[in-house]
Amino acid sequence: MEKRRLSKILARAGKEQVKKLADEIKETYSPVIVKAPEKSLTMIRMREPVKESLFYLGEVIISEAIVDLDGTKGIAVMMGDDFEKVLDMAVIDAACNKGVFQQYERLEQMEKEQKLQLEKENALFLQTMVQFHSMDSEGTL
Amino acid sequence: MAYVAVSGGEEAIEASIRLLEYYRSGTEKDLDLEVIEEKMSLLVDRVMSEAGLYDKRYAALALKQCEGSPDEAVFLLRAYRSTIKRSYDSRVADTRNMRLTRRISAAFKDIPGGQMLGATYDYTHRLMNFALQQEDAPALCRKIQQEVEHQEPAEISLCKRVSDELKEEGLLDQYAPDNQEPFDVTQNLLEFPAPRSARLQTLSRADTGFLSGLAYSVLRGFGQVHPTVGELRSGYVEIEVPYLDNADESIWIGEILLTEVEVFNEADDHNQLKLACGYGAVMGRNENKAIAMAVLDHELDTVGDFPAQNDEFVLLHGDSLEMNGFISHLKLPHYVTFQSKLDAVRKTRRENHDG
Repeated sequence: MEKRRLSKILARAGKEQVKKLADEIKETYSPVIVKAPEKSLTMIRMREPVKESLFYLGEVIISEAIVDLDGTKGIAVMMGDDFEKVLDMAVIDAACNKGVFQQYERLEQMEKEQKLQLEKENALFLQTMVQFHSMDSEGTL
Repeated sequence: MAYVAVSGGEEAIEASIRLLEYYRSGTEKDLDLEVIEEKMSLLVDRVMSEAGLYDKRYAALALKQCEGSPDEAVFLLRAYRSTIKRSYDSRVADTRNMRLTRRISAAFKDIPGGQMLGATYDYTHRLMNFALQQEDAPALCRKIQQEVEHQEPAEISLCKRVSDELKEEGLLDQYAPDNQEPFDVTQNLLEFPAPRSARLQTLSRADTGFLSGLAYSVLRGFGQVHPTVGELRSGYVEIEVPYLDNADESIWIGEILLTEVEVFNEADDHNQLKLACGYGAVMGRNENKAIAMAVLDHELDTVGDFPAQNDEFVLLHGDSLEMNGFISHLKLPHYVTFQSKLDAVRKTRRENHDG
């Protein structure tokens, strides 16, 4: 599973769900903390559409942790300051890198549930789709 | 000469700081951070935007600490931010991939992907809702959760920008992607003329009232731009950082809510066959600020003597921390400077009297 997808599922997941996955790994392996969870900043780079140039919108607070699982490193970075969750995410990442992570199906199930929730919220917003009727002539795209 | 150091008053100052709690002590009810975050979200958005720091929980905490003052909250967040190192620059966030919660156009009623009003106060009657004095908050929470739960899932689709269509038609200039590293106003002193990246970053974190007032001055005739909102969109943008040293992999760190606006104007006199565009993007749902930013972005491209056309004027006077800090310092002891002014006036009066 590519890292973007893995981190997205875990970041969106509840803290307890992530802890459960990490605890299962810890039953067999003893992860060593290489970089203890720590707060720092990420600057958001954006592209503006007028001149297609880059600019900085502002920063977000992130937490980051790195662990070592029997010689294989795992990293997690996510917005916010939940140190326990980010450490558990790093353990899961290390297990994936080491090739010992067994719960991809559960991750995929979590991803499906997350997608479903977002699509339901989207449906709520789509109820506000609007068709204005102009009382006069107008421009068209 | 500005102000000079004074000594003394330590005990009174400490008592004064303690007394701030007096103003937060009028009730035994606590103000939960979650409540500020969820029920004062537009205020939280404003503070995050003006601080240039996206973290709802910390913005809520700052607001709680300073009795809800936006400028004090911005000060607290900026001060805190300055104590933390920066680990990453994100991958370039692409607002074309925004998960939309609102999208409207004042220029075209039919736009590809359609207009979605989302949540807006635009069409509300501004009547006080006295029923909120006895609101059943748990019931409201459950009601909305159930409403979401009962929705038929709808696929999330991405929408091209309205300006993309106009570019394809040749009505707006098209540019190749420019990957020059942006100027960072948090790390470097602004110089003028400011690069476009510095302009956009400064406007995006500027004080909402300052931008709105300046944009209003433009619309009232103290400027050249008479814009139409081509597109206003709010939604969630995904933020990613590189995965260790692997250039091909990214870590998804979360998503931020932002509002983005493009305004269309007539191009200058030499180029009347085309439109020109101004751009605004701000953290959170702060539509008027995003529109004002877009108005000023284009106004700064025009030449003239109005304040809103002067990038030094616009970019150096709108930072919440700087403007409020400078105005606030006027309250601090200026005994020596004022004494010298007073002496000068007395001397002149004496000379005039003697003469």
